[in-house]
Amino acid sequence: MSSATLLLLALGLALAGWLSARARAWSFKRAAPGGRIAALPTYHGWYVALWIAVPVLLFVVAWNTIAPQLTLQSVLASPAAADLPPFGMKRDMMLGEARAVALGAARGVFTPEAAGLVEPFREAIGRYRLIGILVTLAMALLSGAWAFLRLKPDFAARTRVERAVMAGLLLASLAAILTTLGIFFSLVFETVRFFGMINPVDFLFGTHWAPDPMSDAADPSRYGSIPLFWGTIYIGAVIAMIVAIPLGLMSAIYLTQYAGPRWRKWLKPALEILAGVPTVVYGYFAALTVAPAIRDAAAALGIANASSESALAAGLVMGVMIIPFVSSMADDSIAAVPQAMRDGSLAMGATTNETIRKVLVPAALPGIVAGVMLAISRAIGETMIVVMAAGATANLTANPLKTMTTVTYQIVAMLTGEGSFDHPATLSAFALGFVLFLITLGLNIVALRVVKRFREAYE
Amino acid sequence: MVTEPTSPTVKIRARDVSVYYGDKQAIDNVSIDVPIELVTAFIGPSGCGKSTFLRALNRMNDTIPSARVEGMIELDGEDIYRSKMDVVQLRARVGMVFQKPNPFPKSIYENIAYGPRIHGLAENKADLDAVVEKSLRRAGLWDEVKDRLADSGTALSGGQQQRLCIARAIAVQPEVILMDEPCSALDPIATARIEELIDELRTRYAIVIVTHSMQQAARVSQRTAFFHLGKIVEYGETPQIFTNPREERTKDYITGRYG
Repeated sequence: MSSATLLLLALGLALAGWLSARARAWSFKRAAPGGRIAALPTYHGWYVALWIAVPVLLFVVAWNTIAPQLTLQSVLASPAAADLPPFGMKRDMMLGEARAVALGAARGVFTPEAAGLVEPFREAIGRYRLIGILVTLAMALLSGAWAFLRLKPDFAARTRVERAVMAGLLLASLAAILTTLGIFFSLVFETVRFFGMINPVDFLFGTHWAPDPMSDAADPSRYGSIPLFWGTIYIGAVIAMIVAIPLGLMSAIYLTQYAGPRWRKWLKPALEILAGVPTVVYGYFAALTVAPAIRDAAAALGIANASSESALAAGLVMGVMIIPFVSSMADDSIAAVPQAMRDGSLAMGATTNETIRKVLVPAALPGIVAGVMLAISRAIGETMIVVMAAGATANLTANPLKTMTTVTYQIVAMLTGEGSFDHPATLSAFALGFVLFLITLGLNIVALRVVKRFREAYE
Repeated sequence: MVTEPTSPTVKIRARDVSVYYGDKQAIDNVSIDVPIELVTAFIGPSGCGKSTFLRALNRMNDTIPSARVEGMIELDGEDIYRSKMDVVQLRARVGMVFQKPNPFPKSIYENIAYGPRIHGLAENKADLDAVVEKSLRRAGLWDEVKDRLADSGTALSGGQQQRLCIARAIAVQPEVILMDEPCSALDPIATARIEELIDELRTRYAIVIVTHSMQQAARVSQRTAFFHLGKIVEYGETPQIFTNPREERTKDYITGRYG
């Protein structure tokens, strides 16, 4: 509540700064010969408002972490805290209750001894809130006044505001990058711990995957990840792509080249609905409809002991899920081929179909390839469908009717398993995630490069 | 108002042709005879419909969904808008060169070989090589590119690209070549080169060229049609149109007082 007050205060001050600076700039403007000053009055307003708001916001953020500490220190120093237990749960409970009452979040204390602490808390909180408000006001006035005094008819407020906007945008883009880096390092840290127990060579090249969270010994022969990566690639990059590439490409060609505008207007969003279906729903579909159908079909064809969970079921459904990714990238890149190419081919007596196969698709190929790569990295990171339809047994086989498991499935299984957190079985999830991350990162980099080449093609 | 010049064999005969884009009429009752072995130039201010009319001659307007053509256009006496007309064959017979060079993003060789392959004009690789060489020679490009046939067509200069597109059109063995402002994206030297080429080609093909440059029309054509507001104002032998136009509007346009 107190930080909300501070924020409102800061915004109010910034608004006041904005109005007064703008008014001042208007007075410059009226006095200036020809009414020209270096920046529009609004920019002067923003300049001062930013100088008030930014330092105050930074202070409020900092104060929110410091003030509770200071409050606690002053309560502990008060005579009422003398008979607190030196440490332990009871001490924390008493302090917590007293604070809650002082803040008005609770009506009374549960532990009677805590009652004496309420008053010191109330007093300290009030004091630091007042200090906070005073410092906020002082900062706002000081920096606002400093900024205000810099305003002159030839002051380049516009460039300053421009720079502030740029800094804001930079921070926004850094947030995403820093998060990626954070993910990367958190994975690296745990992966290194895992590799301290299991040799990376055994992990990366072993062909047997059966971690046992119950056994104490770290047995490297049970941590061979090849069957998992094989399953991931077989389901996500082979079976799913056999479905997604032709269907996605053909629907993109139909949409860009044949469909009339009205038909296209309905069909394209309908196709994109596929991308909006939650993956867990695809998972149901794979597990309850597709997988039994495949098993029955296999049985009808005389294939004995077909599994009711199969790589084929998961891969097929995943392929359908991926269709919108392939088709929208292919759609964009085919539509980006200049009309002149199409006209040139048609004018030579090529049919629409010949034009598509021999001119448009080859010209759009880099974009299509990039779309496929992004789709693959999406497919191999997919979890829910595999969990529900592909099974949990790590099989190193090319038979799509067999149960197979993937990296993502095993990450879930290991992290939610019974092993303690420092057990290699649990830690293996991080190593798996790390290697998967590197693979998808590599695919994305390749895809981006291909797209870049594509963009240069018609300059 | 159409004036018929004394003409040699007629290749394309158009009668009362109107073209609409949706509700908008772009061409209004145009009739014209395009002769064989001559270059016919369409001139006129921007938006007068000359490119639209050109695209009606090989049914390229079919690729624009809202376009509609009325009237009759005959190629060697055959109505090209009859329902049984094979548009693909028509476009093979009536080739087209566009305003901006549009080579395919393929090698020079593949650019030329594209049409012959589609239409089955070469039986084997040696045949195809011969067609490619002949087409490039006729387009006056062979000597410049013979050592780099595998390079991309898009890597050539603008003038070379346009000659590549002409060679590409020639490779399908058309009877008519339509050129839609073929020099508007080129520098004067490349333009001169294309104009020479047009002059060389006219003995083999009927050529129709749309141009904004009256000097170009005067230099390369033997027949000129002046279009204005979707109609042909005057059609006649080029020297007559440029030195002694019958219509006041033609005269105003030619002398630069209008348009």
